[in-house]
Amino acid sequence: MAWYDEDSWLTAAFAPNIATIAVTLLLALVLPFLVHAFIYRAQSPAALPTFLLIGPSGAGKTAFLTLTECNTPANTHTSTAPLAIDALLPDAHPPSSASFRSAGDPAYERARRFLLLDTPGHGKLRRLALAQLTSAANIRAIIFVVDASSVADEAGLNDAADYLHDVLLSLQKRYTGAKTSKGPKEIPVLVAANKLDVFTALPPHVVKVSLERAITDVRKSRAKGLKDSGAALGGTDDGLDDERECLGEGGEGPFEFRQMEEVGTTVDVQGGNVLGGDGSDVDKWWAWIAEQL
Amino acid sequence: MLDTFEILTTSGVVLWSRTYVPVGANVIDSLIRDVFIEERIVPQPDDVGQKPTYKKDGYTLKWTTAKDLGLIFVAVYQSLVHLTWIDKLLDNVRALFTGLYSEQVKEKKASTIDTQKFTPYFERQIQELEGQSDASTDVKLTPPSSSGNDSAEEKEHAPTFPLLQKPQRPLYDTSAESTPVVTPSNSRPTTPGQGHLIMAKGKPGQKLSRRDRKKVAATSAPASSGDEANVKRKGKGATKKNRVWGEFGADEEDPDVVLDYSQSDLRGDGAEQETLEEIKPETWGRKTGKGQFVLKDLDEEMDAIISEQNAKKEKSQPSSGLVGSSLGAIGGLFRNVVGGKTLTKEDLDKSLKGMEDHLLKKNVAREAAVRLCESVERDLVGLKTGSFTTIESTIRTSMEKALTKMLTPTTSLDLLRSIQTVNSTTTRPYVISIVGVNGVGKSTNLSKIAFFLLQNQHKVLIAAADTFRSGAVEQLGVHVKNLKELSKREGGSVEIFEKGYGKDAANIAADAVAFAEKNGFNVVLIDTAGRRHNDARLMSNLEKFAKLAKPDKIFMVGEALVGTDSVAQARNFNASFGPGRGLDGFVISKCDTVGDMVGTLVSMVHATSIPVVFLGVGQHYADLRGLNVGSVCRLLMS
Repeated sequence: MAWYDEDSWLTAAFAPNIATIAVTLLLALVLPFLVHAFIYRAQSPAALPTFLLIGPSGAGKTAFLTLTECNTPANTHTSTAPLAIDALLPDAHPPSSASFRSAGDPAYERARRFLLLDTPGHGKLRRLALAQLTSAANIRAIIFVVDASSVADEAGLNDAADYLHDVLLSLQKRYTGAKTSKGPKEIPVLVAANKLDVFTALPPHVVKVSLERAITDVRKSRAKGLKDSGAALGGTDDGLDDERECLGEGGEGPFEFRQMEEVGTTVDVQGGNVLGGDGSDVDKWWAWIAEQL
Repeated sequence: MLDTFEILTTSGVVLWSRTYVPVGANVIDSLIRDVFIEERIVPQPDDVGQKPTYKKDGYTLKWTTAKDLGLIFVAVYQSLVHLTWIDKLLDNVRALFTGLYSEQVKEKKASTIDTQKFTPYFERQIQELEGQSDASTDVKLTPPSSSGNDSAEEKEHAPTFPLLQKPQRPLYDTSAESTPVVTPSNSRPTTPGQGHLIMAKGKPGQKLSRRDRKKVAATSAPASSGDEANVKRKGKGATKKNRVWGEFGADEEDPDVVLDYSQSDLRGDGAEQETLEEIKPETWGRKTGKGQFVLKDLDEEMDAIISEQNAKKEKSQPSSGLVGSSLGAIGGLFRNVVGGKTLTKEDLDKSLKGMEDHLLKKNVAREAAVRLCESVERDLVGLKTGSFTTIESTIRTSMEKALTKMLTPTTSLDLLRSIQTVNSTTTRPYVISIVGVNGVGKSTNLSKIAFFLLQNQHKVLIAAADTFRSGAVEQLGVHVKNLKELSKREGGSVEIFEKGYGKDAANIAADAVAFAEKNGFNVVLIDTAGRRHNDARLMSNLEKFAKLAKPDKIFMVGEALVGTDSVAQARNFNASFGPGRGLDGFVISKCDTVGDMVGTLVSMVHATSIPVVFLGVGQHYADLRGLNVGSVCRLLMS
């Protein structure tokens, strides 16, 4: 039976059949809804820019998160799970992308919104944060919170430097491993020196210098350290050709945060305190966030 | 008494807390660290009937969790006090809180929720449970919570003190009215008047009673009991209650409550007395009228919420009837494929058994496998599976997570860094000693470590403290000769320190450290004799050894080949260095001989929660590796 026959499907489609009418009607009625649903869904996830809170345990990440959300820091304990909140930049800091807009403008309001993602800082749970770093496409910036008073002693400094080294290294890998020649979007890092109200806290520029010094040490000993067991045990060869990567300028000489600019990461160090006798003072961090938005 | 009760989320935010005596935040922090993250202390399963406990700094902590919501409920009290009703309190509060706030908590993208209203509920629970524990006659004192709720409705943002104060105010009235039996005769003089007054216009009577109470309380506690029904109620524990109100109370927590009373009293005493008398009766009347409703409301509401939650729990367990069960089974099968099934213990049991067998095949000791499975079960019971995931795959991911968490070290294991730190701060060399059972490869791995250090330009002294086995010293001598050859170009230097056979190992080790310090070596590696871990006579030497040689790091070498015995080995060696000193890490040797059966790693880490530092993966000096957690997990799960 060919298509031009008397009772072929094409003839039936044009004939005044009940079935044909029903199908046509159904199609005509349902199609707009489907189209609407498709378009609506495609537009709805207006992804907010994500700011990743990262840092050693007890630095004040969750406290900063609650401060951002409610304007008063809540009591917090050691985190065991990540937490994401919808945050709004305070009025005093207009986001840089919308600084020309007036306060009532909906676009301005939209620009003020961002997602703040808190991660647990305990040694055993850091891979959660690092996984976020490599997977999430929408990370706008990273806030590395560090306790400025614990950096004063060797153990705290080494812990923070270790972690920061890993973070920066994975950022560098992300840049050097990029497929396109343009490279991935820049991810700036803010080293937020928290707890400046504490008597023993180091000022931000000292925090910066000592972190750079400690990262130099970490880099040196990592370069000399033993190889991973991955290739030897797994038998898979993907680990073998993987040359060990050094952070910043081939791993020679002292490390400086400035070296990270080459791989699309600027590192700033700003001080502040989430808790404190006379209220919290994190204006500099907010100003930094506003700059990134 | 209860010191603190906190409700916090897994992300660390305190949603609601009630503090009677301030407790340092580090107490709860260390609970989270030790129990939830590092899992050093394994909680008993819930069905033992007791909530797990954790002791720290003289406090006892009891906790319970609401896993699907990610909530942790923690009660903190002094270890000296024995509180029997904490378990019940935790259960009830969990039921109440999840009943009231589950919607809000589930709503993502917010860290805190408004839990002001929860305080009266909690106070009510405390009162009830404390009352029950005393088995006093009149426990059913409903008024307090009523007005508590009342006030909570009236002013949500009021601080907790008014809420606290009000609950107790009517308490005195009712007790005085409803429990004439309990009221002793010595408080008679005031009570009749009070009774009349209450009938007429409540408030002044109550005030009178309070004033009286204060007076009497000053002289003798028992005499005041007529009005202090709540003291009675809470105690034979009259002492208990008194202590809180007397010692702490007077100046710290509850005093705010008491102060509030007295202030209102003082105000009322003077010229305002008349106006008060005029106004208060109305308010009080209104309160009784409304009060009883509301109060009933709160109590009923509370019971309803609790029973509803309990019912939900029970309903999810048994499926009744033939049709119901078969339908449920089909639905369960369907959900098993599609996902969205709430996991119960029964669902998990079979798959977990399979997982346990799988782990056993990978040479994980039974004890460790069981514990891992239990931790997965704890992790999963009560959770919903994601869409299009089966139970098996859910268990798999959860197991991978548990393994990764277990094997990931808490602190950095960078040996070179810590050598550098020690050398720059002291003149003493960095001392590493190696212990282990016979024939696991102590000397071989020692020379591998020496080779690694030599490549990094360290000056290494190897001390032959195995004075027992014939040939041990000569064997090390050969290693040193080879290493000398190999390290000539690298710039490191290595020597052997030996005193022959039959001497005391601990003394040789101490001498070696002194020798190294004098001759400018910066690392000392001490080889020890192999010893059987269940031989107390041999193991007792280790304590002296640790005391004399003072090693910075003690590594234990374990074979990857060993099976179930690995747990006992790790435990015994870890315990043998005396109090305050344990192992610092494991070196797992002969990893190249076992293929993917690397379960020994897991068993040893499980037994002691001490990290694996090195893996021996071959016969050459360079065949020493750091641990890659990801690859080990992959091998174990494959």
